[in-house]
Amino acid sequence: MIAFTSVGLLGLLTLSIPVGIVLFLLAFGIDTFFSPFPLMRGLGQVVWSSSNSATLIAIPLFVLLGEILVRSGVARRTYTALEKWVAWMPGGLIHANIATSTMFSATSGSSVATAATVATVAMPQAKALGYNQKLFSGAIAAGGTLGIMIPPSINLIVYGFLTESSIPQLFLAGLVPGLLLAALFMMITVVICIFKPSLGGPRQSSSLGEKLEGLTDLLPILGLFGAIVGSIYAGWATPTEAATVGVAIALLIAAHQKALNWEMLSKALRGSVKTSAMIMLVVIGAYVLNFALTAAGVSRALQNVLNGLGLGPLETLLVIILIYIILGFFIETLSLMVATIPIVVPIIVQLGYDKIWFGILMIILVEMALITPPVGLNLYVVQAARKSGSFSDVMLGCIPYALAMLAMVGLLILLPQLALFLPSTL
Amino acid sequence: MTSLVSLIRRINDRLAIGVGLILLACVVFTLLEIVTRRLGGSLGGVDEISGYVMAVTTSWGISYALTEQAHVRIDLLRQRLVPFGRAVFDIISLLCLSGTAIVVAWRGWAVLEKTLSTGARANTPLETPLWIPQSLWWAGWVWFAVSASILLVSVLVKFLSSDYQSVDDIAGARGEA
Repeated sequence: MIAFTSVGLLGLLTLSIPVGIVLFLLAFGIDTFFSPFPLMRGLGQVVWSSSNSATLIAIPLFVLLGEILVRSGVARRTYTALEKWVAWMPGGLIHANIATSTMFSATSGSSVATAATVATVAMPQAKALGYNQKLFSGAIAAGGTLGIMIPPSINLIVYGFLTESSIPQLFLAGLVPGLLLAALFMMITVVICIFKPSLGGPRQSSSLGEKLEGLTDLLPILGLFGAIVGSIYAGWATPTEAATVGVAIALLIAAHQKALNWEMLSKALRGSVKTSAMIMLVVIGAYVLNFALTAAGVSRALQNVLNGLGLGPLETLLVIILIYIILGFFIETLSLMVATIPIVVPIIVQLGYDKIWFGILMIILVEMALITPPVGLNLYVVQAARKSGSFSDVMLGCIPYALAMLAMVGLLILLPQLALFLPSTL
Repeated sequence: MTSLVSLIRRINDRLAIGVGLILLACVVFTLLEIVTRRLGGSLGGVDEISGYVMAVTTSWGISYALTEQAHVRIDLLRQRLVPFGRAVFDIISLLCLSGTAIVVAWRGWAVLEKTLSTGARANTPLETPLWIPQSLWWAGWVWFAVSASILLVSVLVKFLSSDYQSVDDIAGARGEA
């Protein structure tokens, strides 16, 4: 049954059948071949109750928020303002790439949107100032992955929904590792550019006056982040309600930038419906598969296999991480998460690990999947924004940042408190 | 056939805007609730209604994502094939998708039918008659099954006349969103 599920999963995915549909088909297969009683009579009820959810409506809302921001020109201002603050370090503008990604990821829930936004703003500058393209574009692709780590994160909402863990706690747990990862990215850039200045570009210094002036351009996005995260932790709002607050503020920002009109709004609405429906088909498929796997006892069977191997908890965890890294070369973030959560998370919990902590660990691993070829979405997004140059530039430029992510995985295993400290104190 | 596909695309486009506007209405309602709650009151039922909105957004949105070719597919192998092979993969995908859509719509009817026959209401202060959100939700899945089947037939027609480019235009894999 385990072989059926894993071979079926990989085989059907290779046939390029839509990921959500693959999950449905596997559930149908388990029902037909392995279940003692017909599961799929309850299919309608499972689909209804998985999509009738006040938690999940946060997904279209956060996507909408990102769509509005991207279309309102805030990104450009944020980039210019942050450039004044960070471009004095060795590596220059590369730090602005990482910092802008960090800020944007804090407000938009998606990595790809973040990478696309920063790439469009930053790439022309890199060309004008004669930066080495490799590290520069690598930093955008890698920085963009922070979007799914720093709250609000759509991937964490999906993880929380499928594993029945608290979303505010997951958001809190992602904050420190997310910021730490951004800091690691910057440190690694500094080190590389000190030893090989040719990989970077000109540093820029700005006066204190210019820095303070830039601060006003950062206010909208900082305010937005503060309102979303603040209202959740002040206990005023659930993550869903905070998302509505975010949408309202984003609309105000767009109106202030004189970018709010029907054409822009209708594009943002279409984009939000399209992206969230795409996400939801995968989520519903995972929910149905989850239901079938549990009813047919697959998780139990898999645990028996693992116990039979005689590995300790840490060894098992390392094997699971290795599997994620390998799968990450071929499968993308959300699909990777959603297809594996029903199988992996019960095992992790049985080993005695914390669900919230593993959620954050999994996010770093799927972040890595976003920048590992041949299937690494952010690589393509950045390459598309460059419009010239070879694809391998972006790929090579990502390697230092992928190593930083590996280091972060190690840190999280050694110091689980990095993720768990905030949720346990607040 | 092509005009039928573009008609479906146009309808789904309008539906997406409609669903988006419902989403915006839900935003306004939720904001009002947050403010009212700060003032010590409550409009009540926000969570329940958001849930219904989400179910309806999803079931109607998936058809739009289908015609926009936005559903995630892993096209690692597919992109290495000749146009004929790609068209075969696209048809298999669409066949699986239509099949699943029809099964969900069929099983979904059982949910709605039971609600209709028992007159079930939500176990909440609003006591919403469940047939209202459920019929909207179910209709979305039926429309998804219909859209998918029409696309499948059009793609088959194009395939039989060796028009692989049109197969790709209708059902090809696009970059993940």
